[in-house]
Amino acid sequence: MGAQMIRERLAFMSDGANEGPRRADHLSAAPAPPADATAEANELLRAVARGDEAAFTRLYDLVAPRVYGLARRVLRDPAQAEEVAQEVLVEVWRTAGRFDPARGSATAWVFTIAHRRAVDRVRSEQAGAERARRLAATQGETPYDEVVDQATTRLEQQQVRRCVQTLTGLQREAITLAYYGGYTYREVAELLGTALPTIKTRMRDGLIRLRDCLGVEVAA
Amino acid sequence: MSDVHALAGAYALHALSDIERAAFARHLAECESCAHEVAELRETAARLADGTWSVPPPRLRDNVLAEIRQTRQLPPAASERVARGAAPAAGGRRRRPLVVAAAAAVVLAAGAGTVSYVAQEQRVRDERATVAALRAESARVEAVLAASDARLHSAPVTGGGQITMVLSESLDGGVVMLSGARPPGAGRAYQLWAVSSGAPDSRGVLPSGEGGATRLIDRIRGMDTLGVTIEPSGGSAAPTEPLVASVPVES
Ligand SMILES: [Zn+2]
Repeated sequence: MGAQMIRERLAFMSDGANEGPRRADHLSAAPAPPADATAEANELLRAVARGDEAAFTRLYDLVAPRVYGLARRVLRDPAQAEEVAQEVLVEVWRTAGRFDPARGSATAWVFTIAHRRAVDRVRSEQAGAERARRLAATQGETPYDEVVDQATTRLEQQQVRRCVQTLTGLQREAITLAYYGGYTYREVAELLGTALPTIKTRMRDGLIRLRDCLGVEVAA
Repeated sequence: MSDVHALAGAYALHALSDIERAAFARHLAECESCAHEVAELRETAARLADGTWSVPPPRLRDNVLAEIRQTRQLPPAASERVARGAAPAAGGRRRRPLVVAAAAAVVLAAGAGTVSYVAQEQRVRDERATVAALRAESARVEAVLAASDARLHSAPVTGGGQITMVLSESLDGGVVMLSGARPPGAGRAYQLWAVSSGAPDSRGVLPSGEGGATRLIDRIRGMDTLGVTIEPSGGSAAPTEPLVASVPVES
């Protein structure tokens, strides 16, 4: 797989997959998630840790579309994404007591589990060539539900997208291939025809730049 | 591994191989600045999920809610030693989520230089089997993996898959993982043999019909090779079939 092909696909991966047709714009008045959604998720997860099923149901509604969406983005297969999403959400219930608020937010904790599971699945079930094929095959395809839902998250998404655009090309490519494509940094280096230490460094300094742009902080 | 800190970004993106991930997780327990950086970079990476909203099929909600009613929750951290995805090691383990399957290679990847290269080339896949074994025998497995003289050995299995073992001479024990091997067939099982100058001596039978499992073995001192055969379930007193794998223990 040549670097040029990869770059073309990246153009899709970095902003095409969920952006979808602009016909969603008429929904743009839909409320963004409340500003205190993070605090709410933290509270809910603490309640879940105490065995509160009602809290779990509310947490489910808050995070399931992103857990499923992320799995779907990485796996490019709705059936596998559904399986992974179910595993992840049950895992959230099972291990809620292990959540440590000093180490980050509840939503990040959930999406970290989700990303990890999706990546593990894609690596074990889809060989590199198969992944590349799927990536190409789903190019430009945006299911209706994603178009609608995107409207509800426009603000948050816009912030992330704006910050991603502040990255250098190589930072963006490296992070995007790893996060949405599930590639290891060795694979990313190979795909982009770039030296291993460079990729490693770009992933780190790219994420640091994203962190600063998004204003992410975790208490020391 | 002089620039090990530089792996924080790849780690937060889950872009390390299992072995490297395990090694870096180990580093995190000792490096507060990396631990803090990883927490922030994870938080940052998780924001990339914001752009992936997709409404799941309604049955997912029903399925998940039904399943959690049947699922026991883990007690809060620290009271149970082995959690899925957490390293069975003492101290600071809450900030060290690990691939359990790779834990076997942690010691090597982080320690002995010559072995770490080999370790990085391997992917230990059969996580579920490893988790099951760890739950059952976590303390002893932990001791072997944490032993300062733990060494990794590995070999391919005829017909596919890999056999990986971590041996500790000082503890006279080891952890053996079979992963990705073809199922041995109904009523048959993989059996492990210690091979030295004398006759092969059984070191355990893996679960019937399984092509992947983890097993704690003992009495490894003096063993030259670990051999693997396919035998009737329950095992044989002596190998009845040719070896499908043989892992030399070079010292
Ligand atoms: Zn460090």
